Amino acid sequence: MRTRWIRWAVVVISAAFLSWGLFPGVSWAKEVAFLDLSDFTGPVAGLALPSSFGIEDYLKDVNAKGGIDGVKIKYIGVDTRYDVARALSAYKSYARDPSVVAMEIVSTPVGKMLQNLLRSAKFVCLVPGDGEFQAHIGNFWPWGPTYQDAFAATIDWVLADWKKKGQSGKPKIAVLSWDNAYGREMLRGGKEYAEKQGVEVLPSELFPPGSLNHDVYLTRLEKAGVNYIYVGGVDPTQTNVMRDASRLGLPKKIQFISDYWGPSALGISLHPEALEGMVVISYFLRGDEAQNHPLLKRLWTTYRNQPADKMNEGYGMGVGAAITLVGAIKDAIKRVGADKLTREEIYNSYQKVTGLSREGILGPCAYSPTSRRGSDVVKFYKVTGGKIVPITDWVKTPDAVSLHKW
Amino acid sequence: MKSYKWMVWGALAVAALVIAAQSVDTARAEEAKILVVPEKAVLTPDLLKEPIQFKGTGFGPGEVVVVELIPPAGLKVKAVAEGENVGLAFATTDDKGAFDAKMSPVATLNWIFQVGWTPNMKPDFKEAKPLPPGSYQILATGMTSGKAAKATLELLKPPPKEEKK
Repeated sequence: MRTRWIRWAVVVISAAFLSWGLFPGVSWAKEVAFLDLSDFTGPVAGLALPSSFGIEDYLKDVNAKGGIDGVKIKYIGVDTRYDVARALSAYKSYARDPSVVAMEIVSTPVGKMLQNLLRSAKFVCLVPGDGEFQAHIGNFWPWGPTYQDAFAATIDWVLADWKKKGQSGKPKIAVLSWDNAYGREMLRGGKEYAEKQGVEVLPSELFPPGSLNHDVYLTRLEKAGVNYIYVGGVDPTQTNVMRDASRLGLPKKIQFISDYWGPSALGISLHPEALEGMVVISYFLRGDEAQNHPLLKRLWTTYRNQPADKMNEGYGMGVGAAITLVGAIKDAIKRVGADKLTREEIYNSYQKVTGLSREGILGPCAYSPTSRRGSDVVKFYKVTGGKIVPITDWVKTPDAVSLHKW
Repeated sequence: MKSYKWMVWGALAVAALVIAAQSVDTARAEEAKILVVPEKAVLTPDLLKEPIQFKGTGFGPGEVVVVELIPPAGLKVKAVAEGENVGLAFATTDDKGAFDAKMSPVATLNWIFQVGWTPNMKPDFKEAKPLPPGSYQILATGMTSGKAAKATLELLKPPPKEEKK
């Protein structure tokens, strides 16, 4: 009885080895995973959730078509509710899973902790826009141009606008943003760029995230003679700032400009009067340009089963990130084969997808061995008649990161 | 001759005792420990002003430690999949492997009170579903050394509201 059992085991094991040897080209079902430590229900869910939907849906679409050379990409979404401890706990759970080849985080403090943990290991971690990660090349890859590069592009736009309006002297700009590392990041290099271009940067007004009244900060900036206010935060912060500014009659004399995380088309439709005239800088398509983009429209209506005009444009930001991930996996498969998709190989491939097209949703990929910028172009939009409309084509962002002493 | 033999055996026994005591000491020194302060916490908003703290020793020097709550079977925690632990706090240890971590307001709101969030980033207590009173296992893990320690946190019912006279 026992001998028979052993014989059968030998036969089965031999058959498995034999078939492996006979068909080396046949790929067994393979899967790699992308870990998304995002904020689905927490304080910044309005920004993070649509982007995560974009990543998830694009990967679903790739998998539905058979994956990349037979390799499927599993999307693992963890709701961290903007909490560092939760994100670290989730990271701990997945860190030892070798199928997780890349990840994303939405919080700057989590990035700082992971920096300590990853050290010399090579592991792609997509992050919002801190220039620090461009200054110190490593595992952290901003989604688009860094915050300071975006601020520098805004300075170029301000100078052109100032000239167009026939103004003389130096324009004055100030940052009005959340009182945290993110709220200060854009001036680490951005301030140096502004001063170099002859724009005076007034002291920032920073407030706790979630503040509902901004009168004090706005009044102080008005008294200081500001001409342009660069508003940071995640919408509805920008909407609330504009509501307060309108009540104080400021948009008539001061131009308000929002950073990336300003109002979406949906937010604008809810508060059109308050937001009228606000300029928004963006590294991904917004408004009708996003909602009518063929790929975004198809993915949104297929996987979210909702009409295109219900799409938050953050969705395109996520799709763009997923296109880059797929491009890097393709490159890694081509270089080392589907059996060797390690974190390090994906990391190496992220450095080789320079120029990769994101179908116009974002500018071409700018990742390289010396760049961690997701792209290096932005567009300016303006809220006009309750809609967000482009006022420029893609414009190149200056390098403000290198101007700062890190 | 006989006494000489006893001396040898005696010396060997003493040496064995010394080695054993040293290894017990070493094991003790390396053993990771965590203390929850307070061990019994009342479920009231005072936890936002005086948050639950965790004090640990015996972890690796300069490493990140994450402190988690292990949900008992059947307990559903908002935004946490079944079988997952809930991160409560984190810290970086000092050069002796000790740490002191507090629950942040966001963590207290998210995981102890399980609030919702308004679009204006304000906690929504209407959606709150506080953890039920009871005993919870707490796990601290050194993210580099892998050293772990457990403790217990007891959540107590808030006192009954005094009736207005």
